[in-house]
Amino acid sequence: MKVPSELIRIYKAVHTWTGILTGMALFIAFYAGAITLFKEQLVAWATPPAASPARGVPLSAAPELINQTIARHSEAARELEIHVARSASAPDLLTWKVHDEGADEHDQLSARLFVATPASDGTVSAVQAERTKLAELIDVLHRVVGLPVDSDLNRSFMGVVAILYFLALASGLVTLLPSLIKDLFALRVGPNLKRMWLDAHNIVGLGSFPFHLIMALTAAVFAFHDPIYLVQNTLIHDGKLAAAFRPPAAPGGAQPRDPSTMVPPEQIVARVKAEAPDFEPTVLRYMRIKGPNPTLFVFGHDRHGALEQRALGGIAMVDPYTGRITSTAYLPGHQSASEIVLASVFALHFGSYGGAPLKWMYFLLALLGAWLVYSGNLLWIESRGRKAKQRVDGGAIPVQRRDTQLMASATIGVCLGAICGISLTICAAKWLHGRVDDLNSWHRILYYLTFFTAIAWSFYRGAARASVDLLRLATCLTLAIPLTSLIAAILPASALWASRDLGAVSVDLTAAALGLTFGVLARRTARRVYGGRRDSVWSAHAPVTESAAADSQGVAAE
Amino acid sequence: MIQRDWLSKTLAGTLLGLTFAFACSAVFAHFAASLAPPIRAQLAMWMVIPIWLCVLSCVYLFRSGKRAWLWLGFANFVVAGLLAFARVLS
Repeated sequence: MKVPSELIRIYKAVHTWTGILTGMALFIAFYAGAITLFKEQLVAWATPPAASPARGVPLSAAPELINQTIARHSEAARELEIHVARSASAPDLLTWKVHDEGADEHDQLSARLFVATPASDGTVSAVQAERTKLAELIDVLHRVVGLPVDSDLNRSFMGVVAILYFLALASGLVTLLPSLIKDLFALRVGPNLKRMWLDAHNIVGLGSFPFHLIMALTAAVFAFHDPIYLVQNTLIHDGKLAAAFRPPAAPGGAQPRDPSTMVPPEQIVARVKAEAPDFEPTVLRYMRIKGPNPTLFVFGHDRHGALEQRALGGIAMVDPYTGRITSTAYLPGHQSASEIVLASVFALHFGSYGGAPLKWMYFLLALLGAWLVYSGNLLWIESRGRKAKQRVDGGAIPVQRRDTQLMASATIGVCLGAICGISLTICAAKWLHGRVDDLNSWHRILYYLTFFTAIAWSFYRGAARASVDLLRLATCLTLAIPLTSLIAAILPASALWASRDLGAVSVDLTAAALGLTFGVLARRTARRVYGGRRDSVWSAHAPVTESAAADSQGVAAE
Repeated sequence: MIQRDWLSKTLAGTLLGLTFAFACSAVFAHFAASLAPPIRAQLAMWMVIPIWLCVLSCVYLFRSGKRAWLWLGFANFVVAGLLAFARVLS
C-alpha cells in the first residue's frame, strides 16, 4: 500500500510516545487481567476447607432465612444474594455486603460480607465471613492498572491510559501498513536481534489486533461512562436519564412491601428454567426488597456457552413478588438485536461468550498482550542503544545513553516486580492463613512491598543484572504456588491445604507452567547478560561511565 | 507536505472529536426512539468513545493543524445541524 512516508513518520512518533507512556501500566493490566479471567478458580484455590457455618442449608429454607435476616438486619434488604449453586468460592446460601459510608460503588475490597447463619433454635444471626479477597485485589490491579483502589480518580487515570493505548494501536497499524504485505508473518530470526523483536512485536500486535481494539475501547468506556451519561442526560435525555433506567414501579404503588409475600426462590428458579430451559441459575440477587420497585436479578450460565453480559453470567430480571420475568434484555438466547449488541461489548471484554475454551484463549491473548507492551519498551530501548563501531574508534564499548538505562531499569522493575508480587501474594493466602489477623491487608502489603522492592533493585543493580535476578525470583515465587499445594498434600498435618476442586488444581498447573516458562527465560537472559555482546544495555559488563568505556578499549571485539 | 502541528492537531482531535461524538450519539438517540429506553441510553453512551477515539486517531492525517480544526469544525456543524433539524421536525 502506498502511504506517504511523512505520514508514517508522524504515526510512528505517535506510536512511540503513546506506547512508552502506557506500556508498563498496560503490562500490569494484562497480566492481572489474565489471572482475573479465572477469578472464581483462584478463590477456590485460596479458600481454606474450614466448614462454613451455614453450609448445607437447603434452598427450601431460603424464604424463612430471608424474612428473619431482613427483620434483624435492615441493611440486607437493600441488596442480598441467594446462592442457588453452592461452590468452593460461594459456599453459603444467603449473604449480603455492607459497604463503608462514602465508599466508591466499585470498591469491593473494603466491603464486608455477612452470612445468614441459622441456629438450632430457629433464630438467624449474621456472621461476618472471612472470605479471601486475594482474587479481588488482583482484579483491582487489573481494573486500575496497578493502583491499589478502584476509585473515581484512579479509574480516570486508567481511562487516559486506555485512550493512549487505543492511539498506540491505531498508529501502530498505520506504521505497519506500507510493509504489511511484504513483512506479514516474516520472522527474521538472526543476528539482528532488534529486527527479530520487531517482527515478533508486529506479528503479535497484528494477530491480536481485534482483541486489543476491544479492550482499549471497552476499558475507556468503563472508565468514563459516568461523565458521558452526565453530559448525555442534558444533551439527549432532558435530565430524565435516571427514569429510563428505573424498573417500572409495581402496581401496588409506593407503599412498602411485605417480604414474606415474595415467591420462594425454589419456585423462581423453576419458573426461569421453564422460560429458558438452557439457562442454569446460580445466584439470585435481590435489590431493594422493601422498596417501591423491588428487583430480582437471576444470574446464571447458559448451558451452551452463549454470550453472557457479565462474568457472573447472563441475567433474567424477575419481579420477586410475582415471580414474573420482567425483562429478558440480558438473558442469553432471549435478546433482541440491539440487546445482543449491548451484551456483546461486555462479553467481548470479559471473555464470557464461549465457555472455558474461550477463557483460555483470552488468557493466552492477555499474556501475549503483556508481552506485546513489554517488547515495545524493549524496542524503544534497543533502537536507542549504542553499538560499538570497529572502524571508528577501535571498537571501544560505548556508554549507553542515560535515558535508555533508566527506561530499561523501570521496565524490568515494574513488569517483573508485578509478576513477583502477584505470585508471592497468592502463596501468602495459604502460608499466612490463621497466622495473621488481617490477611487481606497482608495481601496488599506483600504485593506492593515486592513490587517496589523490585523496582528499587532494578535501578540499584542496573537493568541487565536485575532482569536475571528478578526472573529467577519470579520463577521461584510462581513455582511456590503449586509447591505449596504439594506440601499440603504430602503433609496433611501442616496448616496448609490442597483443594481437589478442579479449578484449584488448574491454578496449580497453570502456575507450574508459568513458573517453568519464567525459569527458561531466566536462563536465556542470564546467558545474554553475562556472556553476550557488551555494547548493549543488557550486558552486565557494559561500562557505565566514560572512563570505564576508555578502559575497555580494544577488548570490544570479543 | 504534512505539517506536524502536534499541539493543534491533538487539541482539535480531543475537543472537536469529543463534541462530534456526542452530537452523533444524540442523532442516534433521536432516530432510535423505538428502542427500549435503557437500551437506547446505553447504546448512545457506548458509541461516544469509539467515535471520539477514531477521530482522534485520524486527526494526524490532516495536512495541518488549521485544516484539522476547520474540517472537524465543519463536521461538528453538519451533525449539530442535522440534530437541530431532526428535532424541529419531530
